[in-house]
Amino acid sequence: MDIKKVYNSKSVEEVIDLLGEYGKKAKVIAGGTDIVIALNKNVIEPEILIDISKIEELKGIREEDEYITIGSTTTFAEVVESQIFENNLYGLHKACKMVGSPQIRNKGTIGGNIANGSPAADSVPPLMALDSIVTLKSIDGIREISLEDYYLNPIKEKELLINIRFKRPKDNQILTFAKLGLRKALAISRLTLSSYIEFEDKTIDSIRVASGALAKFPMREKEVEDYLLGKSLEEKTIEGAIEVLRNSMDERLKGRSTLPYKRVAISTILREILEEALAIEEGVKAW
Amino acid sequence: MKKRGIGVGLSFYGTGYGNGFPDISRAIVRLLPGGRIGIYCGVTEVGQGAKTAMIQIGAETLGVTEKDIDLIHEDTSLMPDSGTAAATRQTYNTGNAIKVACQNMREKLFEKAKVELGLNSTAGLALEKGEVVLSFFPQKRISFKRLSEIYKDETIEAEGEFVAQTTTMDPDTGQGAPYWPYTFNACAVEVEVDMNTGIVNLLRAVFAQDAGRAVNPHLLEGQMDGGFAMALGYTLFEDLKLENGVIKNNRFSKYLIPTAMDMIDVENIIIEDPENTAPYGAKGIGEPVMIPIAPAILNAIYNAIGIRITELPVTPEKLMKAIREAEVNN
Repeated sequence: MDIKKVYNSKSVEEVIDLLGEYGKKAKVIAGGTDIVIALNKNVIEPEILIDISKIEELKGIREEDEYITIGSTTTFAEVVESQIFENNLYGLHKACKMVGSPQIRNKGTIGGNIANGSPAADSVPPLMALDSIVTLKSIDGIREISLEDYYLNPIKEKELLINIRFKRPKDNQILTFAKLGLRKALAISRLTLSSYIEFEDKTIDSIRVASGALAKFPMREKEVEDYLLGKSLEEKTIEGAIEVLRNSMDERLKGRSTLPYKRVAISTILREILEEALAIEEGVKAW
Repeated sequence: MKKRGIGVGLSFYGTGYGNGFPDISRAIVRLLPGGRIGIYCGVTEVGQGAKTAMIQIGAETLGVTEKDIDLIHEDTSLMPDSGTAAATRQTYNTGNAIKVACQNMREKLFEKAKVELGLNSTAGLALEKGEVVLSFFPQKRISFKRLSEIYKDETIEAEGEFVAQTTTMDPDTGQGAPYWPYTFNACAVEVEVDMNTGIVNLLRAVFAQDAGRAVNPHLLEGQMDGGFAMALGYTLFEDLKLENGVIKNNRFSKYLIPTAMDMIDVENIIIEDPENTAPYGAKGIGEPVMIPIAPAILNAIYNAIGIRITELPVTPEKLMKAIREAEVNN
């Protein structure tokens, strides 16, 4: 590690100027829960470190018009404490609550979870199921990209992740999340799933399902979505959805040593998100 | 689908080095300025609470409070050897040495009091809250503090030694009685096994531990909780993945130990059946508190799903493999 300078930035403009000037020599730090480890292990060796944790406009959760916007340096703990993520947005609350430990949730940020690019990032599948849009800024201007496409065209060295936003769901649109970790805290996800379901009576009128740790990055599970669309959520449908997802996994993870376990375990996780969606739809508080 | 089961594990554990091996603890007790009592003893605190329990045993024997005692330990230039903090032996062995040293110290203090109080003998003298008192005429009394002032140029001290009694096993037959005394325990757990993820979730645990006499019940419960948590990790999580003697699983991101969230509230029961050769009946429990937990969990898994697991740790992947194999065989 050979850091020459640390900037304690106060504004987005200052950061994007610095990133424009230093490019790949610079690294942005917010909560530091991933980056400090990478620095210690010399996985990354930036000359310049830009601390963005004190920039007001990157912080917090805002409700504007039909959108909910989460600033990139909003911590997992702030999401967990926010009343916005009760009831039909419970999935994001649950995902953020299952991140690491209280210390990590107090420091780690939503923006960092996306920018770090881990396939096991817990907050990403629910944000992806919400069809979120990521806003990035650089000296060349603003770039907006859907979170689903983001991983094919991720953050560039001159870009700063500003925020992520999604449409506020209606009462009949429900977000859920489930995670398979090997212990009850500080567990790296082995499997995560999130679903966003719009119910019309008991029928699934529209649906998005996103997974974590089932590919190189979190992704939409379109085969399951297609299968579930227009069906009502009953035991037979859930069983069918599990089979569809298993087939997708068999193709995608062929030859991987983790496949035999994951293809069995997925049933519990898929069942959990679907049953939870139904429970919230029926007015049962999930927490 | 989740299945529940209950399992019990029992153990008895011989404390001390055993098998005729010399097992000796020593202590020196000294009257310090201000009437304080110094216990010089090579007892090592490794988190088990030796510092607290040894002081309690000394205080009980000398009729003072724990605050009146300075335990000087873990510096071999200042104290006699008391053996290792191992083999669950400190409470019983070193506790005995301290008790003997304190009993000898009583006699030393009685002798000095006899002189200072102008008595004919030490008969009828007792120790009471830092004073030597003549029991039938309590106006005759002198404090440790006063004695320390009178004898400030002289060291008042006493030694104590305890040699544990063990016998060697017959090397040809392996027969004999190599350990003494034993501590006993029993643990019962209820688990829930997720048949699709292989995750074993502990629901309830009751843990009964024989301690002879609980010198400090809170510390004892701490040991029981700690032993349970360690055993829980070793049963369900911890896998070094040794390959040709090399630890492959060498990062705490992968080498999982239980977090506070994985630990459950254990209902601890302390069994007190005093051992007559032990200091106030107290025996060690350090290692045995870990022993019955894994058998209890494995028995509970068997009770839940009918599968015997014979290799630790029972990771979700291993359990799923066992479940699949059982399905194939049926």
